[in-house]
Amino acid sequence: MRPFLVFICYLVISATPVYAGDQHQANPRTMTFAALNFQIPKAERVVLECGMPVYLLRDTELPIINMTAMVRVGSVYEPAAKTGLSDMVGRVMRSGGAGGVPPEQMDDELEFMASSVESSIGSDMGMVSMTTLGKNFSRTLDIFRNVLLLPDFSGNRVEIARRHIVEALRRQNDDPKDIAGREINRAIYAGHSLGEIATFESINSLTRQDLVDFHQRFFRLDNMILAVSGDFDRTSLLNALNTTFKSGKNRTSLILPKVPQPDQPLQGEVIYGKKDVNQTVIRMGHLGLTKDSPDIYAIRLLDYILGGSFTSRLMMEIRTNQGLAYSVGSHFDIGRRFTGTFIAETETKAESTAKAINLMKQIISGMTKEPVSDAELNAAREYLINSFMFGFTSPASIVTQRARLEYYGYPDGYLEQYRDNLAKVTKVDILSAARKYLHPDAFKLVVVGDATKFDQPLTTLGQVRELDLKLNPPKP
Amino acid sequence: MKTILAAVTLLAAFATTIHAATLEEKVVEHSMKNGMKLLLVERHTSPTVAAWIRFKVGSVDERSDERGIAHMLEHMLFKGTTTLGTTDYAAEKPILDKIEAVAQKLMNEKARREKADPAKIAELEKQLAVLESDASKYVVKDEFFELYSKHGGTGYNAFTSRDGTTYLINLPANKLELWAAIESDRLQNAVLREFYTERSVVMEERRRSYDADPENKLWETFVASSFLAHPYGQPTIGWMSDIEYLTRSKAERFFRDYYAPNNAIVAIVGDIDTRKTIAMVERYFGAIKPGKEIPPVTTIEPAQSGERRIELIAEAEPALIMGFHKPAIGTPDDYVFDVITMILGTGRTSRFYKDLVIEKQITSDIGVFDAPGTRYPNLFIVSANPRAPHTIKEVEEAILAELDTLKTTPVAERDLLRILNKIEYEEARRMGTNGGLARNLTEYEATAGSWRYMTEHRGKIAKVTPADIMRVATTYFTPLNRTVGLITKKGGDK
Repeated sequence: MRPFLVFICYLVISATPVYAGDQHQANPRTMTFAALNFQIPKAERVVLECGMPVYLLRDTELPIINMTAMVRVGSVYEPAAKTGLSDMVGRVMRSGGAGGVPPEQMDDELEFMASSVESSIGSDMGMVSMTTLGKNFSRTLDIFRNVLLLPDFSGNRVEIARRHIVEALRRQNDDPKDIAGREINRAIYAGHSLGEIATFESINSLTRQDLVDFHQRFFRLDNMILAVSGDFDRTSLLNALNTTFKSGKNRTSLILPKVPQPDQPLQGEVIYGKKDVNQTVIRMGHLGLTKDSPDIYAIRLLDYILGGSFTSRLMMEIRTNQGLAYSVGSHFDIGRRFTGTFIAETETKAESTAKAINLMKQIISGMTKEPVSDAELNAAREYLINSFMFGFTSPASIVTQRARLEYYGYPDGYLEQYRDNLAKVTKVDILSAARKYLHPDAFKLVVVGDATKFDQPLTTLGQVRELDLKLNPPKP
Repeated sequence: MKTILAAVTLLAAFATTIHAATLEEKVVEHSMKNGMKLLLVERHTSPTVAAWIRFKVGSVDERSDERGIAHMLEHMLFKGTTTLGTTDYAAEKPILDKIEAVAQKLMNEKARREKADPAKIAELEKQLAVLESDASKYVVKDEFFELYSKHGGTGYNAFTSRDGTTYLINLPANKLELWAAIESDRLQNAVLREFYTERSVVMEERRRSYDADPENKLWETFVASSFLAHPYGQPTIGWMSDIEYLTRSKAERFFRDYYAPNNAIVAIVGDIDTRKTIAMVERYFGAIKPGKEIPPVTTIEPAQSGERRIELIAEAEPALIMGFHKPAIGTPDDYVFDVITMILGTGRTSRFYKDLVIEKQITSDIGVFDAPGTRYPNLFIVSANPRAPHTIKEVEEAILAELDTLKTTPVAERDLLRILNKIEYEEARRMGTNGGLARNLTEYEATAGSWRYMTEHRGKIAKVTPADIMRVATTYFTPLNRTVGLITKKGGDK
């Protein structure tokens, strides 16, 4: 069969014809451009003999092949007392040896080939990725398969991973930005597994068997999607994948536990962490929405206008006009499986802490009071539509994106209709989305810094709960 | 180069194409009459293009009374020109001049410190606020950004380092002319409006990046302590009191003196027609007059005559940085350091990882790199955080033991071969993104004198021998040449 080739049709015509000696210089405010016919690149979807879907995109620019397996697993499946289990599984799958090949040997073999295999588990997805020069594909694929399906979890490496995580826990309060980022997430997801964080106790309670069991339960051929891109021959590749991923007898049918949606009632809270620093870290927010909401297009535009660009309202007022911060913004992290978050953030000198907080809340509230201007809507729309093509600049990003859409169950045609859906959004849509999804009175507000230097006491913002930043690591 | 690649492809069962296009063949170099250097690469993977401009001037080129100005100017160059970012420059300009006069009076008064007159300061601050408010009526805020964004531009940004200053953007390929129009205007007609508000933004940037982040604060202190004479020691962002006394006039002088086409390197990588692109860039930039060359920094850091140790007390767990002075990029010993860096610090087979992380388990994190710049003699750095209950001392001793081994035991051939394989892979990988390639082309053209540093690098590394490594380790890894910085936890470990 002819190797599948992606076709990207586009037409570039120089906007101004080049004549010898032409010195014409266009005005950036009014210049126009030839149309660019951008077609969304497609990846081929193939189903292996074992039933596993694979997205393929051949591209011969570089002599490299990239592959990623996405596995339906995540920290949301951890038992409450075992927070940190999935993180540790993700680390030790790679670091602990696999397929009977001890860790040192695997490291040596991979690095001698300049190949790489890495594994990790996030909140709702596990990933094992490899990259290799084409000439080393076969051996790297073997190691990739072993890491994915046959990790050895050697005892020594389990202990090393545990010690690394414990050390990271000891250091979790060193940087005020880390504290604030962690605490806003905990506050927003309080009561849900997405808000759990590992502790010395939970990490120290994990056994090697916990890791083995967790891996066995989720890392199976009927629970993953592959994405492959780069310089391969399609027939050889599919033969290799079919040989490598042979369906064994599945011990049991796959059961993914039901995980409830977070549904914390919206209720404001002020959370303070004391650090001896001259700048205050500020985070505020609450639950947001999922990709299944029809409002996601209005929200993407709202995001850009409120806090997602260099000319957003938050940036313009707090940074450009008032010089109160270097970094300021807000973002709806649209949840793919679980309700996502809205978080606004900045850092400002201790003496302008309350001023910045109040300004931010006021600017955010403004979104719920009046419709955005035509100019704002147009600027946001034009940016999001015209920059859409930057999601497709490498073969690896194209295949992993396709695989991710299937993994999270996006509707067919999501990418194809994305720009049209943005174009349809009106000012009224944005206003009603703002009223539905923004509730500044119910913000969890996290403030990390030195309250003795603040311009106003935090109590003027509400009832304050102070964080205990003292850690009590068990004596080693 | 070609022969090596062809041989590789013959062996490759999965690679099906001959990869004829090496970097050497892909880059088109064009020198303009005014001295501006263009580096172009056609990549037709997606209908996008990356455009980077690098000026060969960084914080190392600052005078001592203007530290932070290179970075401050980088911020200011987003504020527009005589035609962009303003509704009426003719009306705006006299107000900007008044702002500058009042701001300078205010700074002069504040510089009197405890002798300053608070009433005078308050009055001048009031005047400044009124004038700034007047001027703001003419400002079209962040118009460069608005223009790029509405046309789909992404990643519009800039960064300043010791060695240089770079401005970058990614655009849909049909809109590259917008870049030429904006950037050529910016180079000739920049107006540094809103200077004193932006200066407050930079102070917040400093607080965020250094003052309130213990590891970065240690880093800044460590680098400053490593250089007594050479300006590499000074932080690019400037010390807080330096920033407080930066003026628009200083920034304008820096801009006039250094931002000239002969000090600029442009890389355009992506879905372009090379010939037409050169013509287009010539049309916009060709008439700009060259300026003076940037004089080299003549200060030479005196040889260290003893170990330097610095300590930072912070609300944070212990951390360690160790540095040794070493030569600049492109010198024979620098290639040997590249090999040493990879042997000690790259990947899970590196010596530090195997010994300190896996075997002794005294750290969970160790890094090896060059800093703070590369154009001038710099530092070989090892940075590690001890894993409790292990101490800084244990980590330090283990690092020194590995450095000593390099002096006495020849490195195995297989280790050197692994490094060459890694470089071969990286050579291929780095051609995979427009922005990454543009970054490397401008960086090496500016710091090593030619982008060909990249294509020649593997050959230079292949010539490094085990004896070279022993010699370099013995020469440089000495107590006299060493600086050590550490964080001690405030109040001890309670």
